[in-house]
Amino acid sequence: MEITFKILRFDPDKDKKSYYRKYTVKVEPGMTVLDGLNEIKWRLDGTLAFRRSCRSAICGSCAMTINGVNRLACNSQTLALKRKTIVVEPLRRFPVIKDLIVDMDPFFEKIAIIKPYLIAHSRGGSRERLQSPEDRKLLDEAVTCILCGACTSSCPSYWYNKNYLGPASLFKAYRFIFDSRDEGTEERLGIISDRDGLWRCHSIFNCVEACPKSLNPTYAIAELKKKIVTTKL
Amino acid sequence: MFYKWHVGSIAWILHRLSGVLIAFYLVLHIWVMSFLQKGPESFERVMHLLEHPLFKLLEIGLLGVVVYHSLNGIRLMVLDLGYGMAHQKKMFLAVVAVGIVLFVLGAIPLYPF
Ligand code: SF4
Ligand code: FES
Repeated sequence: MEITFKILRFDPDKDKKSYYRKYTVKVEPGMTVLDGLNEIKWRLDGTLAFRRSCRSAICGSCAMTINGVNRLACNSQTLALKRKTIVVEPLRRFPVIKDLIVDMDPFFEKIAIIKPYLIAHSRGGSRERLQSPEDRKLLDEAVTCILCGACTSSCPSYWYNKNYLGPASLFKAYRFIFDSRDEGTEERLGIISDRDGLWRCHSIFNCVEACPKSLNPTYAIAELKKKIVTTKL
Repeated sequence: MFYKWHVGSIAWILHRLSGVLIAFYLVLHIWVMSFLQKGPESFERVMHLLEHPLFKLLEIGLLGVVVYHSLNGIRLMVLDLGYGMAHQKKMFLAVVAVGIVLFVLGAIPLYPF
């Protein structure tokens, strides 16, 4: 079956503005959008630029907007999209470097802001810090995040304000704040309740719709909101 | 291409729009009430003007806007407390269903014709 890939392209050396370009690809059952992009790059137009690495939904490199929703290209079956034309665009509100490649630095800076590492002032001794299975369970979703950026780029609050920490960063904050071994809670709650922090979340759920790992950042943010309110009271 | 609308983002944009409309109404309302300062006659005159069917229809519209904003506000508060996360879409449908019932019940006595 022939499918048209309509790709938003931009080359900073040549183009003033981004533009759509169409490619016709013969797709077979089992082909992902990433396979389609490879087909284009290898056979039709070698100038097309996109990121990919694992092609198995684990590295988080290939997040892009496919038919108006953020997804992983390697995790999206072309035929399951049920469209004759597949529109592929770079993650919105992230600066475009070239074609589908966006600058992830602002995204990772926001991860760094919330101190994404274990903060432990007390000495642990020579053994590892143990955690009960129940406490570990609280982190199940948060540790599954592959930092692909699909959620943050889908969030209307982030479209409006690029300084907003965004769902991925807050999700990471949750991962440490709700870690029974961590002692940095107060510090992190201060960081995320800043004016560009979690109060900008209006429970729109676009992040939940976008997350390719079926995670629920909105739930984590709600838990953090509750935690802030209850600690301040 | 536009980003796809989902139930959550539709609920959010309607919440925003209804919020703006309510704020606008509030200003109008305070302005109308300010005629009280100018004595009973001028207030009577404004009130008489507001008897016009057009304003009755606008009031019905206002009812719809307020009903939606309140019910979805409850939905958002429940969600922000961390409850019913997996059911946010169903909760939106409930908001719409209960909203329509309340709206119809409230609109009947307001209907001017
Ligand atoms: S929460 Fe989901 S969408 Fe967001 S960065 Fe992690 S894996 Fe990607
Ligand atoms: S290529 Fe690694 S997530 Fe798609």
